[in-house]
Amino acid sequence: MIFRLAFCSMAARALTVTMTVIAIALSVALFLGVEKVRTGAKASFADTISGTDLIVGARSGSVQLLLYSVFRIGNATNNLTWESYSDIAARPEVDWIVPISLGDSHRQFRVMGTTTEFFERYKYRSGRSLTLGDGAIMSDLFDAVIGADVAATLNYNVGDPIVVAHGLASFTNHDDQPFRISGILEKTGTPVDRTVIVSLRAIEAIHVDWASGARIQGQSTPVEVIRQMDLQPQAVTAALIGVNSRLQVFSLQRAINEYPQEPLLAILPGVALQELWQIVGIAETALIAVSSMVIITALIGMMATIFSSLNERRREMAIFRAMGARPRIVLGMLVLEATLMAALGAALGLLLLYAGLVVAQPMVDRAFGLWLPIEAPTLRELWVLLGVVAAGAIVSLIPALRAYRMSLADGMMVRI
Amino acid sequence: MKILPLIAISTLISSPALAEEVRQLDAHEHGVGHLDIAFEGQQIAMQLHAPGADIVGFEYEAKTAEDRTSIDSAVAKLAQPLTLFVLPEAAQCSVVQASAALESEEEHHDHGAHDDHAADHGHEDHDDHAADHGHKDHDKHGEDHAHDHDAHAASHSEFHAEYLLTCADPAAASEITFAYFDAFPNARELEIQMISESGATAFEVSRDSPILDLRGMF
Repeated sequence: MIFRLAFCSMAARALTVTMTVIAIALSVALFLGVEKVRTGAKASFADTISGTDLIVGARSGSVQLLLYSVFRIGNATNNLTWESYSDIAARPEVDWIVPISLGDSHRQFRVMGTTTEFFERYKYRSGRSLTLGDGAIMSDLFDAVIGADVAATLNYNVGDPIVVAHGLASFTNHDDQPFRISGILEKTGTPVDRTVIVSLRAIEAIHVDWASGARIQGQSTPVEVIRQMDLQPQAVTAALIGVNSRLQVFSLQRAINEYPQEPLLAILPGVALQELWQIVGIAETALIAVSSMVIITALIGMMATIFSSLNERRREMAIFRAMGARPRIVLGMLVLEATLMAALGAALGLLLLYAGLVVAQPMVDRAFGLWLPIEAPTLRELWVLLGVVAAGAIVSLIPALRAYRMSLADGMMVRI
Repeated sequence: MKILPLIAISTLISSPALAEEVRQLDAHEHGVGHLDIAFEGQQIAMQLHAPGADIVGFEYEAKTAEDRTSIDSAVAKLAQPLTLFVLPEAAQCSVVQASAALESEEEHHDHGAHDDHAADHGHEDHDDHAADHGHKDHDKHGEDHAHDHDAHAASHSEFHAEYLLTCADPAAASEITFAYFDAFPNARELEIQMISESGATAFEVSRDSPILDLRGMF
């Protein structure tokens, strides 16, 4: 009975109710959207590297080392000399070590020099390996393996020639050393998708004629000669390490951090990520605060509309009372209406969120390399929705109590 | 005093010698210690690094018998990991190996000397020594060392401890309660790095919240 009354009275004021519901829905969608982006970004960062126990680079900051070695964000302050790299590689705790050399680029994509072991050792999304969609990994000095995004953006196929430039925003192309694409990787949702991978020796080969970064006049070493050269690298940018036993991770980390010949830094990727979250945490809190404020604003708007409707509905309430409804019923009806509005808003907000995700998912992936999964609402999201409904009920109590008092005092004679 | 020729020679030699010298110091924040925890099967390995200020309240070289006593008792406390880092009974953990020592950030030969010194004199011997010679000798001894200190910058000292535990049921180790803060009133917080089957992560544990939740690490 009371439900029917509530429904009918809402239907009678369809326009204001709809507006209120839409305001709540938008605020809920915004809040949940922010949450989705936040958790999605965290998850995609955390999924980028797994199975690597330590990352070693020049001594800078742990977050910086993680960002440039794994996420290709920013640049290395220094390199790691080959001597130090070999020293570390020879330590008994080290099960495997994969060097990484960054600094060159192809169009807008980074070129990374590494060893073929990288393809076995690099793991993402808790233990998945890189797989080749087409072709094979590097076998020749001038072979390159490209990530899925590189292939898609530049329309490359296996066997195409590719020219590698020196420095990130470089005007000069290393066009006298044509590389050939030997393989294209499957999409991973990690920065590997946007990377051109060549061998360490290839990185050296690129720079044979490029003393101090500019071509030496009148000198161009033929490819055959380069192949004969000793292309032993002098330095690498960073290295990924796996240890034999987890129990040795921290001893090895300390040994590297206290390595006397060169200032080095070893980090645990997971720990560095935590540090990054601490930095980002402030912005996250601000985002959550702003989107919570939007929800609160929408609910206050609902309260205002209920207040303004009270005067219109004075006669209605009085009639209810005359029909024998208790003041309790009047109060209950108003609270029920508000709760229904909030619930409708929350449900519509959830729908809006999923509609938005369907539209934005591919765009966000292309623009930021951030994959927002479309999945059932998490427990946390359900709690938020429930919270919105509960808050709607609580907020509506204020006008409802006023109506309760009025309906006690008001007789049939309404002075208007 | 054949000091002039010495100076002459030293100026000749010093430049290459300086180039060879390695100068680096670790960060050192009083009140903040570092604890690394690694889980592997039934074994738990821990490394603790805490500033001397946290553990004994001073970082100068032990001058008095009292200083030495407090260092020795701190080392003894640090060698009992399960009383400092309390694991649930259900995990049935026991200590396989525990070692603790004081290291000061001075030059290494110097540091070695301290160790020898401690080894040579030990406790009993030291008490005798104090009884025989009274305080004067001591003060002198202290002064000698103070000179040493002026040569370096202000020195810091750190306690290092390494533990290896084995647990019958490591999955039952759902939390660690840090009695460490009760044992060492100057310690404010511990920065924790942890690695387990599920990857690596970091925590901070402080005097106000001395419990670390390990659920989800297995």
